Amino acid sequence: MPAPSNDGPLAALSSDLAAAVEAAGRSVVAIHARRRIPASGVVWQPGVVVATHHTIQRDEDITVALHDGTTAPATLVGRDPSTDLTVLRLGDAAGAAAAPAAFTTDAPRVGQLALALGRPGTAVTASLGIVSAVGGEWRTWQGGTIDRFVRLDVSVYDGFSGGPLVDAAGRVAGINTSGLARAVALTVPASTVARVAGQLLERGHVARGWLGIATQPVRLPPGLQRSAGTGAGAGLVVVHVEPDSPADRGGVLLGDILLALDDRPLSDPGDVLAALGGDRIGTPVALRVARGGRAEMLTVTVGERPRARR
Amino acid sequence: MPAAEALFRGLPALEAALGDVAERLRRVTVQVLAGGRSAGAGVVWRRRGLVITNAHVAAAPRAEVVLADGRAVAARVTARDPRRDLAMLTVSADDLEPALRVDARGLRPGELLVALGHPLGVANAVALGLVHRAPSGAPAPGGWLHADVRLAPGNSGGPLADVAGRIAGINAMIVGGLGIAVPTHVIEQFVQEVVGGGRGGARAA
Repeated sequence: MPAPSNDGPLAALSSDLAAAVEAAGRSVVAIHARRRIPASGVVWQPGVVVATHHTIQRDEDITVALHDGTTAPATLVGRDPSTDLTVLRLGDAAGAAAAPAAFTTDAPRVGQLALALGRPGTAVTASLGIVSAVGGEWRTWQGGTIDRFVRLDVSVYDGFSGGPLVDAAGRVAGINTSGLARAVALTVPASTVARVAGQLLERGHVARGWLGIATQPVRLPPGLQRSAGTGAGAGLVVVHVEPDSPADRGGVLLGDILLALDDRPLSDPGDVLAALGGDRIGTPVALRVARGGRAEMLTVTVGERPRARR
Repeated sequence: MPAAEALFRGLPALEAALGDVAERLRRVTVQVLAGGRSAGAGVVWRRRGLVITNAHVAAAPRAEVVLADGRAVAARVTARDPRRDLAMLTVSADDLEPALRVDARGLRPGELLVALGHPLGVANAVALGLVHRAPSGAPAPGGWLHADVRLAPGNSGGPLADVAGRIAGINAMIVGGLGIAVPTHVIEQFVQEVVGGGRGGARAA
């Protein structure tokens, strides 16, 4: 049996992991904004902390504990439930001095090591797994757009949500959450965090396009497909039109069946949400609808979703 | 392609190193039997027959211990402390290989850890994990070593070691999926109290 090794490959890996935790851990904070245990957050830029929406359970009386044990009062800048992100601003000099994370927007690779950090108390915590799946842009069930799908194979403990995904170089690749998909560990990538945080800091909310309708998917009988001149087997029946909404002003009627939006076929209510990013506000969309057995074209100018509907 | 190089050079070396740690731990780990059934694991602390396990593993005054070389020997429970979940077993042997130790208070979060035990009856099963939160040096519960490692009943009393095979603690429980171990400095204190005259919570059983 050889003597215990402190310089073998396993020891080197262990030491690298601890160094990555130490480097990134300086930007991981504990946020006192719920009962029982503090939530984790990441210092994203000087004086600004990003956390998950679902773990920040109150809007006032929030304090943040930094890596060196100092605490700073924090104010809530804004929330975006659709991406499960919340931005806080640190109140005093101690907060402004907190070290921001070094982050990366490189696409994670399936199989790469994934360190999940948290601070559900005074000490930083670490968990190790791998990146288990990476995909393209996706939409959360609340209609938020996330630039890249990143799923982790890592155990989810207290403090996971709001903590960073850290790569082997100690760089923050995004904010982890178990709040966007039940019992699945996902990461909101750094590019999405930067975009959402920027909008929250600028406006206090994330603007989203709005038509003012509620829809349900329906199958189109062959006769209607023929008369409406569509090959699609499904559409969206309008079950509610908000008075004086963009759709109302554009002439959408209860019972219309939406076939396409800007020539893209519609078969799921999420297809409409996906087409209504904040950049569409004020621009016209072309809606093809089946009404009375015939196809009609309507033009609706996208409005901004009222704050109360978020 | 650099990734391919890492795949062919780095991984076998890692696996070999992990195998060495597992073998080192296997030689200092025992199986504790109570009433003929496996109750958990234990760690050889001193050459002359001193074995440490959890109090909840050694619940009766007597137990049987299966040593790493396969010998089954009778053990006396010479001290128990349910508060720290520690028990001291004495077996009649003077040729045991004692475990190397490291002070868990010096561990950093993110460092790799290796657990050995007999989870659900599987003898000498190895699990790889890492330091989730190092013990603070305060009394329990802040004083426990928290590990991101997959354990199961049967790991109790078994070693949780660093990558050099030095024991950082013995696995005691699973809380919210985390492995919780009694750190080495707490065990040393327990042993000192019993063997070195005794004070505090440890008492002869």
